[in-house]
Amino acid sequence: MGLGSLVSRAIRPASRLLRPHNTTFLLRTIVSKPELQSPEAAAVSQPQPQPNLPPRTPVGGARVHFSNPDEAIEVFVDGFPVKIPKGFTVLQACEVAGVDIPRFCYHSRLSIAGNCRMCLVEVEKSPKPVASCAMPALPGMKIKTDTPIAKKAREGVMEFLLMNHPLDCPICDQGGECDLQDQSMAFGSDRGRFTDMKRSVVDKNLGPLVKIVMTRCIQCTRCVRFASEVAGVQDLGMLGRGSGEEIGTYVEKLMTSELSGNVIDICPVGALTSKPFAFKARNWELKGTETIDVTDAVGSNIRVDSRGPEVMRIIPRLNEDINEEWISDKTRFSYDGLKRQRLSDPMIRDADGRFKAVSWRDALAVVGDIVHQVKPEEIVGIAGQLSDAESMMVLKDFVNRMGSDNVWCEGTALGIDADLRYRYLMNTSIAGLENADLFLLIGTQPRVEAAMVNARIRKTVRASNAKVAYIGPPSDFNYDCKHLGTGPDTLKEIAQGSHPFCSALKNAKNPAIIVGAGLFDRTDKDAILSAVESIAQANNVIRPDWNGLNFLLLYAAQAASLDLGLIQRSPKALESAKFVYLMGSDDVDVDKIPKDAFVVYQGHHGDKAVYRANLILPATAFTEKEGTYENTEGLTQQTVPAVPTVGDARDDWKIVRALSEVSGVKLPYNSIEGVRSRIKTVAPNLVHTDEREPVAFGPSLKPESKETIETTPFKPVVENFYMTNSITRASKIMAQCSAVLLKK
Amino acid sequence: MSAPFTLRKIGVPPNSANLTEARRRVFDFFRAACRSLPTVMDIYNLQDVVAPSQLRFAISAQIRNNAHITDPKVIDLLLFKGMEELTDIVDHAKQRHHIIGQYVVGEGLVQNTGSKDQGKSDFLKNFYTSNYF
Repeated sequence: MGLGSLVSRAIRPASRLLRPHNTTFLLRTIVSKPELQSPEAAAVSQPQPQPNLPPRTPVGGARVHFSNPDEAIEVFVDGFPVKIPKGFTVLQACEVAGVDIPRFCYHSRLSIAGNCRMCLVEVEKSPKPVASCAMPALPGMKIKTDTPIAKKAREGVMEFLLMNHPLDCPICDQGGECDLQDQSMAFGSDRGRFTDMKRSVVDKNLGPLVKIVMTRCIQCTRCVRFASEVAGVQDLGMLGRGSGEEIGTYVEKLMTSELSGNVIDICPVGALTSKPFAFKARNWELKGTETIDVTDAVGSNIRVDSRGPEVMRIIPRLNEDINEEWISDKTRFSYDGLKRQRLSDPMIRDADGRFKAVSWRDALAVVGDIVHQVKPEEIVGIAGQLSDAESMMVLKDFVNRMGSDNVWCEGTALGIDADLRYRYLMNTSIAGLENADLFLLIGTQPRVEAAMVNARIRKTVRASNAKVAYIGPPSDFNYDCKHLGTGPDTLKEIAQGSHPFCSALKNAKNPAIIVGAGLFDRTDKDAILSAVESIAQANNVIRPDWNGLNFLLLYAAQAASLDLGLIQRSPKALESAKFVYLMGSDDVDVDKIPKDAFVVYQGHHGDKAVYRANLILPATAFTEKEGTYENTEGLTQQTVPAVPTVGDARDDWKIVRALSEVSGVKLPYNSIEGVRSRIKTVAPNLVHTDEREPVAFGPSLKPESKETIETTPFKPVVENFYMTNSITRASKIMAQCSAVLLKK
Repeated sequence: MSAPFTLRKIGVPPNSANLTEARRRVFDFFRAACRSLPTVMDIYNLQDVVAPSQLRFAISAQIRNNAHITDPKVIDLLLFKGMEELTDIVDHAKQRHHIIGQYVVGEGLVQNTGSKDQGKSDFLKNFYTSNYF
């Protein structure tokens, strides 16, 4: 004892009785150092080393947009200093710092509710943990997300949420991708203390698409906020108080909005799930393929979840420019049409009128023979609404090599001018519509034609109070919209400047005119389009920094077909045709085809045009092929094959290329790269995927039109939102929707 | 029909001392295979599909494929595998489509001899086979 300055004492167990049997006896020496004796000595001994914090990247690789860099503030998240814009909340500040805070009710695209309390974090100098989703971040705030208080708060909230939550995991569709499961594993405690009866709630019926099990609801109100803010329908609401709270429609009402399927993604638990997908698969057995939707011209990014050869469901992908995180009901639920009415073998119509399956050799040999027996100007090729750019290029090359100029795409009426791209594209991109403050919709109902564009218009109307005016047949909108008129008369008045709306148009800073592609079918379309362009020029709609003249196309294949030059030139091409090649085109007026013409139908569904066809060649659908599609704003995207081909089908372009070889006019490419290099010589923007080629020329090159505007009012283009193409017409879910959900 | 030939099971894998012995075993194997061909045709009902000469040709083609090998041990192993295959076939452990697919020469044989296939490009030949090429 007392050996120098260091005092050391050996500890022995107090009594032999307390020593457990088989532990070895450990000697522990107590050592004291000068730093530990007094704080001054500690400060002197060594300076505190700066914590070597690794650089933090924001959650999910997000980029932080500083709208006003001078007003950036600095907060500290877990000791890490981070610069954020002024209006950010604590949760967003933590996201920038790379810390993902658990949450149930907060969603970055919806308003803040702050009722789940799962996002509680500890902030220095605050008596209670704060709800980070609602608390604005103040300069110099020190936020701590992993302290015992924050962890205890999360465990407590989790315990409360699970108290009334039913034990449905084995039968709940959300199992495996459930926020509640994931967050209770990560942040919850291991045991609960609830021993009473759980409450249960009666289920509601929202329609054939959304399945509700109300007992599982945790009352986060995400669906309520989505329906009222993004979808614009005030269907859902919270009834009751306390533990008796229910989400419902109060009256027996179905959710008829075209964005109703997105509540399935939004709901963090299994309360709102997909009814067609109910009990079909678990998410871990599905293979996700990131591809593009072709049911409309928007080209929403989707992920196709497939199990083996079957598409099980379709989920949206994030794309800020086009569809954000939403997809329309048609996109989401029409996948079961891919399983019905599929063409799988080449077929030839017998002498008694019935179809007989043949081999590819025989089918192509027959076509190759017949195509040489007709005169070149009697050959007609029509591409369909779901055709990709490669197949349209090969079709055009083949028909041209046979000596004919009659190849066009559905929806491209006679006389459409494809020289100037600004005359058929959405020149303000879909994301650019957010900057507009006045919308003039001419002959288009964006709600049924392109639901994502409609969602974007609604977002702009909500965010910046933009005004919307509409010329066309009466239809309902999910935002405030002034109905100016039903026909071209109103358009003429605005063009002449005699309509009261002209003043609003002149005062708008960024006006956006959206013309529907349904107007292309009118006989007086040149006059109407020149009236539109004169309105655009008179009101400074097209400027170097803002191009507000937009055309909303209807079909996924239209933009690419116009870029490639598939336009209809001769007026009576179809009526005088002897050989008609329909590549997936079902909207062709079959009665116009002469009775003795030989019709070849190449497509994936046995839809309307098959009944007139003499020969059927089975092709692949968009989930089975790699194809290039251009959306209505000019952005080129590619689909990726998610499931194998059905039966003996082949890719569209391969069929036409093989046909060209059998007919003796062999095309010079035999791989998809070859087709793409051919496309590059015609329309190079179609080869640059995920890039939007802005239009080059403005209305200064517009040709003058001499026609007069007729007085027939604008007609609605889409009669039934749920059934617009061959896939949706074959889908049982779409049939249920159109029977039940359409507003009569 | 000639008297059916019973395949004597060679239990112990043979160890050939030198190349000559290996060669002798190869020919013995070929003879055993050819002698079991009538049984095979009978078991799998290949009378209308293929002639025994074609099957003999197929077997000899496969043996000739390995004609360049000089190591007796390797030859023994190949013979063992060949014997195994032959035993499976004779024991009806395989099925008709296996025999037709593996030994009735090639997938495109029936059409390969057609004259129209000469002028076709690879693209067209692959196109007729499947969508994935």
